[in-house]
Amino acid sequence: MNIIEKILRNHSVEDIPEVSPGDIVTVNVDRAIITDMAALHPEFINEPPVKPFDNNKIAVIFDHFVPPPNIEISNRINRLRKLVDLWNIRDFYDAGRGGISHVIAAEKGFLKPGSLIANTDSHTIAVGAFNTVGRGLGTPEIMNIIATGKTWFVTGDTIRVDLNGNMNSNASYRDVFFNIAGTTGDIPNNNIEFHGDGIKHITMDGRSSISTMCAEISAEFSVFPYDGVLKNYMDNINIYDYKAIEPDNNTHYYKTYDIDLNKIEPMIALPDRIINNIKPVSEINKTEISVAVVGSCANGRLSDLRDVSSVLKNHRVSRNVRFIVTPASQEIYNEALRLGYIDTIIKSDALVTNPTCGACLGGHMGVVGDGDTVISSTTRNFKGRMGSSRANIYLASAKTVAASAVKGYISGDLSE
Amino acid sequence: MNNIEGKIWLFGDDINTDLMYPQVCYTLKEEEKPFYAMSANRPGWSKMVNHGDIIVAGRNFGTGSSRPAADNIKNLGISCVIAESINGLFLRNSVNSGFLALTVPGIVDAVDEGDLLYIDLKNNTVINKSNNKKINFKPLPQFLMDIIENGGIINILRNKGLLGWPL
Repeated sequence: MNIIEKILRNHSVEDIPEVSPGDIVTVNVDRAIITDMAALHPEFINEPPVKPFDNNKIAVIFDHFVPPPNIEISNRINRLRKLVDLWNIRDFYDAGRGGISHVIAAEKGFLKPGSLIANTDSHTIAVGAFNTVGRGLGTPEIMNIIATGKTWFVTGDTIRVDLNGNMNSNASYRDVFFNIAGTTGDIPNNNIEFHGDGIKHITMDGRSSISTMCAEISAEFSVFPYDGVLKNYMDNINIYDYKAIEPDNNTHYYKTYDIDLNKIEPMIALPDRIINNIKPVSEINKTEISVAVVGSCANGRLSDLRDVSSVLKNHRVSRNVRFIVTPASQEIYNEALRLGYIDTIIKSDALVTNPTCGACLGGHMGVVGDGDTVISSTTRNFKGRMGSSRANIYLASAKTVAASAVKGYISGDLSE
Repeated sequence: MNNIEGKIWLFGDDINTDLMYPQVCYTLKEEEKPFYAMSANRPGWSKMVNHGDIIVAGRNFGTGSSRPAADNIKNLGISCVIAESINGLFLRNSVNSGFLALTVPGIVDAVDEGDLLYIDLKNNTVINKSNNKKINFKPLPQFLMDIIENGGIINILRNKGLLGWPL
């Protein structure tokens, strides 16, 4: 069995020796996460589960609409907030105390290697960086999980992706993902397991960025192996009670791809989709932009803010561009302040917002208008995703976004 | 579940959730939401849909977010989605909303928009009544069909007394 099959087997409600592709497995969930999006689902706030299967295994994390942008959403989130007392929820992260759920889940030690996570957000596949399985689920489904502690998965075929070598300094982990997407194409119902000698150089931020974006090729689960980098992360947050999972020696994979990290260059996704729509930034003709965004569960992390700050140092954002930078969590925000990144960013005329999913979903804190051309490190470039359906959204790494914000047009590098 | 017959609306690859349920829907009244489906990629389409129509689409249908995209096209009157391949989250949301979404490789080449499609759920066959082309498909596991036939997961939870009072 591979890592994903073993984690499913270990969580199976029935005692089963093995899990294979095609099997439907009913599993016990280790941790269920509810975000403020639940408040926007009438079924949840009108008919919430009577009681949770285990209140200490549920976290409530407000992230999409922090702080609420209008009265309607504010009222609904106030209703959802009542659950925290009603169910006596210990792990509650309100505005000012948390950030994007996938990032908070990592910081607070919810993502124990070998575990199984349920979260309504569609980028829950992010947890794979932690040798953990999870995928996006719908709100009605999370209601079932809250009530019963269980859900089901149909086991898919698993693709092995070997990341070999070491990245050049001008490329980012986001570019690694674009390369993977260009290699595998869309893979609905299939899993990705990462291996290769290059993984040991990839930070937890990098693994999280890659794993998060695997949602965009419709992967079911993505998972990284357990190694020294992950062990150090867990040690640093004092989490030791877990059992990491390795694949069996003789594991057969459905397909195997090799990615040479040395050859990765800055990439960009053109508007409306990622699949079959990616190019090297160097091949893009001069394209003027009006909005630049760095943020989200994929690329609003400390290393992204570091990249933005190092590009912006001694430069100013083009007067034709509004550059919105959104740290993914309060902890990241705080650390970026301490390290001077925020100081550099705001002195370059970029706007720093509080942690939120905000601009990525076109919710608030950067909604774009008709005719805007956007370059963003967020997760999706669907038509209308970030606001107007008459805006064009390009996706790229934080580094490329920052360089483009300074130049006023799409550019992978200030020296170009 | 009864067999389904309906007129086809044909869509391409990678039709995403945000096209089916744009962000603006979240705070609209329930009855207004379905009319925003596909407004960005196919303005005016939602008003032309008749109850029982079928969406046929290419690869990777429903890629994207957890949002209730399946509910929205179901509430518009669409009886079923048939695609070359379907995103796993969209499939889960469909099942949990009591809505049928089937993966039928080869379907796009077997139909034109406006054709009449018949879905035989006992024999796992789709028949294009407009050109008599026939394709067999792998059915959804019975475990998932049971959730659909029970009207979705909310219905099941409610019937078990697991849901409570409004917050």
